Amino acid sequence: MTSLAISTHGLTHRYGPTLALHSLSLEVAAGEIFGLLGHNGAGKTTTVALLTTLLRPTGGTATVAGHDIVADSRGVRSAIGYLPESVQFYDELTLMENLRFFAKLSGIGKPDSRIGEVLAFLDFEGHDHERLGTFSKGMRQRVGIAQAILHRPAVLFLDEPTSGLDPEGVRTLRETVVRLNAEWGTTIFMNTHLLAEVTRTCSSIGILRHGELVHQDSLSATLGAYPTEQALEAAYFETAAIETAAFETGA
Amino acid sequence: MSVLAVVARHELLASRRNRAPQLLVAMFIGMVGFSSFIGWMTQHTVSGIYRQVLADGLTTQPNPFVDVAPLFFARNTVIYVVMIGTLMAAALGVQSALRDRKAASADLVLTRPSPVKALLAGRMIGIGALLAVVVAVSSVISWLSISVITRAPLGLGNTARLAGFGALTWVLLLGFAALGVLGGLYIKRETTALLAPFVAWAVIAFVLPQLGTAARPVSLLNPVAAVPQTSGVFHAVSFVTGPLSVTEHFKTASQAILEGSAAGFPVMSGVVIAIFAAGLVAAVVVTSPSRLRGGASE
Repeated sequence: MTSLAISTHGLTHRYGPTLALHSLSLEVAAGEIFGLLGHNGAGKTTTVALLTTLLRPTGGTATVAGHDIVADSRGVRSAIGYLPESVQFYDELTLMENLRFFAKLSGIGKPDSRIGEVLAFLDFEGHDHERLGTFSKGMRQRVGIAQAILHRPAVLFLDEPTSGLDPEGVRTLRETVVRLNAEWGTTIFMNTHLLAEVTRTCSSIGILRHGELVHQDSLSATLGAYPTEQALEAAYFETAAIETAAFETGA
Repeated sequence: MSVLAVVARHELLASRRNRAPQLLVAMFIGMVGFSSFIGWMTQHTVSGIYRQVLADGLTTQPNPFVDVAPLFFARNTVIYVVMIGTLMAAALGVQSALRDRKAASADLVLTRPSPVKALLAGRMIGIGALLAVVVAVSSVISWLSISVITRAPLGLGNTARLAGFGALTWVLLLGFAALGVLGGLYIKRETTALLAPFVAWAVIAFVLPQLGTAARPVSLLNPVAAVPQTSGVFHAVSFVTGPLSVTEHFKTASQAILEGSAAGFPVMSGVVIAIFAAGLVAAVVVTSPSRLRGGASE
């Protein structure tokens, strides 16, 4: 039996009167690369914020790496890494100083050797004493990945990780995600609105629409039903259209 | 290393690299160093005029500056603490909170297995340590410059008084730093977050004292103490605003420490300053995680 890295049951969140996530029930097996697709405002970031314990759900339950997100939020945080969509870091500090700070907050006693390992894994050596204020968006994204995997988390959450990257940066990030999953066995939960990213990287897919999960299956099963990217895209929009029609008619 | 120590060290490192607070710290230390010289110049000038007036037979009163205590020369420092030191502390605090906001690091920090209260307490410890260094440096400068002016090293008693004044200064500055942090944490717009602690600083340091000073003047530079009013409008206003005039309490308490007032240390003033600082630091430490995430009300 495959163990579950993430499991949610009826997970719900409201921002005041606005329902951002409606009864989300999904399962992500350990070792998977899961892609959560959805338009802007679909509830993807809210889902990640709930699973990373940044928000408390207004309904439902969820576990990450076996820890309940409410009852054992500290256990969840010990087991996860997180890269938000837009992270700047401390520009006035060097790469090492930034990473040391996050490593120590993760409980790594002597962080320098671990940082060295991670930077070598990311092929990002030689910038240790450069201030982050001089880094490009792509370089910052790699620093973001580095801080997220310093403590070798069981589950890594990436929120729109390719946002704002050039094609070279996108390719590097994609390769890194695949290597992390293959070599370290890290389960990866990735938010994106790019179908192409999901089909090239993920092993299973979920589609979120208006805060509801309207599709979840393995990539192979999804591509079996929709063998081309165009077919998947059409299905994505069809699903969206059906949901929109249902939403508008109140069905 | 504990979370408190990690965050405190990070705070110190980041503050050291930030130019705006550095400038204020340098200005404060420079002014403190200069204040003893200004005190000496005041005494020198007034005594010169007094001798002239005495020679002209225009007065028979003794020179009020004769036999002033060595710490008289540190009185200007009290003014600089109120005017520049508190502003510096508020700037350090608001910059600390805004630094995290600019770095968008709140979500990274909050997804670590560290208690939020420990993160915030660590921040205040870091700021407190930085302020302690600033106060210690300024105290050493004061000690040295007074010793040079009086041509004798300050005695043990006066050194202890100077240290006591430094401790009181640290408590006051910590309160203003916490005020700055709260502005940075609770106000969404960056410009408003920057401005609000300075408005509060101006109200505490200028407006409230103006409402109360007329009734209960604090004589720092004038060696002849003014007589406080015991009735009238200013007395009534002072009765209401007095407890809130933290900087006036600081002046009163500092004067007592530096002069060795016969009435002893004004406990009420000490309590007001301590409550001000402790209350604001506590308000920082109990801030909710959603505030750290930019004040969003998710």
